[in-house]
Amino acid sequence: MMETMMTRLQELTVVLYALSVLLYFIDFLQNNRRANRVAFWLLSFVWVSQTVMLFIYMLNIGRFPVLTLSEGLYFYAWVLITFSLVINRLLKVDFIVFFTNVIGFMIMVIHTFAPDQVVSGGVSAQQLVSELLFIHITAAILSYGAFSLSFVFSLLYLLQYNLLKQKKWGKRLVRIPDLSKLEHMSYVLNVIGVPLIMIGIILGSRWAYITLPEVVWFDAKVIGSVCVILVYCLYLYLRISKGVTGKSLAMWNMAAFLILLINFFLIGNFSTFHLWL
Amino acid sequence: MHIIVVGINHKTAPVEIRERLTFDPSQLGDAMSVLKDKKSILENVIISTCNRTEIYAVVDQLHTGRYYVKEFLAEWFEIEQAEFTPFLFVYEQDGAMEHLFKVTSGLDSLVLGETQILGQVRTSFLLAQEGNTVGTVFNQLFKQAITMAKRAHAETDIGANAVSVSYAAVELAKKIFGSIENKHVLILGAGKMGELAIQNLHGSGASKVTVMNRTFEKAEELAHRFSGKARSMNELESALIEADILISSTGAKQFVITKQMIESLEKRRKGKTLFMVDIAVPRDLDPQLSELESVFLYDIDDLEGIVEANLQERKKAAETISLMVEAEIVEFKQWLNLLGVVPVISALREKALTIQADTMKSLERKLPNLSEHDVKVLNKHTKSIINQMLKDPILQAKELAGCNGSEEALDLFIKIFNIEELVKKQQEMKAAELKPVYVHSSKPVFHS
Repeated sequence: MMETMMTRLQELTVVLYALSVLLYFIDFLQNNRRANRVAFWLLSFVWVSQTVMLFIYMLNIGRFPVLTLSEGLYFYAWVLITFSLVINRLLKVDFIVFFTNVIGFMIMVIHTFAPDQVVSGGVSAQQLVSELLFIHITAAILSYGAFSLSFVFSLLYLLQYNLLKQKKWGKRLVRIPDLSKLEHMSYVLNVIGVPLIMIGIILGSRWAYITLPEVVWFDAKVIGSVCVILVYCLYLYLRISKGVTGKSLAMWNMAAFLILLINFFLIGNFSTFHLWL
Repeated sequence: MHIIVVGINHKTAPVEIRERLTFDPSQLGDAMSVLKDKKSILENVIISTCNRTEIYAVVDQLHTGRYYVKEFLAEWFEIEQAEFTPFLFVYEQDGAMEHLFKVTSGLDSLVLGETQILGQVRTSFLLAQEGNTVGTVFNQLFKQAITMAKRAHAETDIGANAVSVSYAAVELAKKIFGSIENKHVLILGAGKMGELAIQNLHGSGASKVTVMNRTFEKAEELAHRFSGKARSMNELESALIEADILISSTGAKQFVITKQMIESLEKRRKGKTLFMVDIAVPRDLDPQLSELESVFLYDIDDLEGIVEANLQERKKAAETISLMVEAEIVEFKQWLNLLGVVPVISALREKALTIQADTMKSLERKLPNLSEHDVKVLNKHTKSIINQMLKDPILQAKELAGCNGSEEALDLFIKIFNIEELVKKQQEMKAAELKPVYVHSSKPVFHS
């Protein structure tokens, strides 16, 4: 009974999430304030419902739900919605919620269709249940959230840059914040994301060293994750030491996020031990 | 009782007339008090700005009201009526209400949608309140107009974007840099346009301003006025390295700055963004400059295009606000009608209570043995009969007051209950109270 109710609630949440993103899209195209307001309330409902489900699930399984692909994706989507709502509330940046939730919705859809993975591949569930591992995964997902939002700020930067360059004055240009703010927010989120992912990876390595019988340091996931860190560190180096700003920096940030996505979704498949994400 | 507005504004009168009929702000309160003492004027508010002098009044008769307002204007400004009458406009009732709503929300302003007028209307209204020149009607009408204007500005884009070329440049700069306070502004050309540009940028917070001009003294003089610094044209290269915003308005026949010039400085500028505005004709800045990644180049046509687009947006918003005005007028008239029904209801109650009191006296005469308790019970129950009997007619009277043709309906109501005399008496009492009375209605709310 409870399970059926949860399934129905999950379906309703996905439908409302789709509707919310659609309304944000209408607002983006037509500058429709009413659509924006309704979309915001729908998204708020989605957040509440997701949070409730996350807690119920947590109580049922007795641990923080980040150990399977499905759980990780769900938590990632929740982080994105939370971040987007918080930033929208604090900074009143137009369109940030829309673009962030396009990513969030995609993650949610992948979660809905992802098999409810059973942890396997030589790693026992008992071995997985470790505080180090939880912090590793949670920190990594939070950093993905920060990088996703940073990517959205860079995307908006490029959009605004093109509107200004092509002299397309209009409501959209007026509603998107100034280039300086977009660049700054994108930088700040990367500054938050880089230490988080570093902590995540250091703790992950430590866990693997302690727990696994044999750790392959040249594993695809390990190399992929190191690449992600390097690309983001290079971003910070370019920004701080070389003084690179503007369009080039935004492009670099977007490329870094694409590498992150590739690492998240594809490289995991080639990994010999990192099978849950 | 009627509402009128008599006045002149930028649409009806040239500046020579407007300046002669402008009230000194320090005397505005006195002027309203003087007008209050004129015959036929029950309430008044005077709005006086550089673009308009308008007198809003509640008058007992239209003709005399108009006459005494004109007489007041002639006396106050010591000017013959014939000199200003051709430029005067007069709106009555719905027209006057509509005009006030439109003026307050900036729809009647020279710059469509400007917000300064809202503050001026509010100041005049507060002065009128202080001087007791407004009563029940204008307290309601002005509060409603000010609240609606605030709502109009909040809910539409009427005042959102720039409608002058120089302010459009400032807005663009803010879209690129956020704040322009710490940005280095370079002005090329110390002519009229350069001066206008520096004025706007300085007003928007720009503090690091450099002026360059072929005649160095002119640059120095302009820079000095805005706490900037002047540099000779020979130092153009080093000034370009520092600049974040460049506004050019020289009289040069060729391009003053080319793509190659900025390209050669790119390394030393460290890829810093440069916002360039060319307000010169012929142009000073090579259009090819816009091909550079770090350069945003706008010329005078681009800025005028922005102003035009913003004006179109304001016009669209103005249409929305006009619909809001119509709704507000309907609401105000309903309130006004309800105000008219109050004496009718009071008269009806007075008549009924008089009948009840007479009946009680008659009963006490015919039944002298009634105890005090009996009298109390009888009094209570006869009053209850009256109240129950009147409940529906009173509700109906209020309903009638809110409908079209309310005056005829209320006349019929008065005739049916035969309360003409009592209504007149109530209206006279109301009129006597009107001037000093303040109705602090809860709706609409006036946020000071």
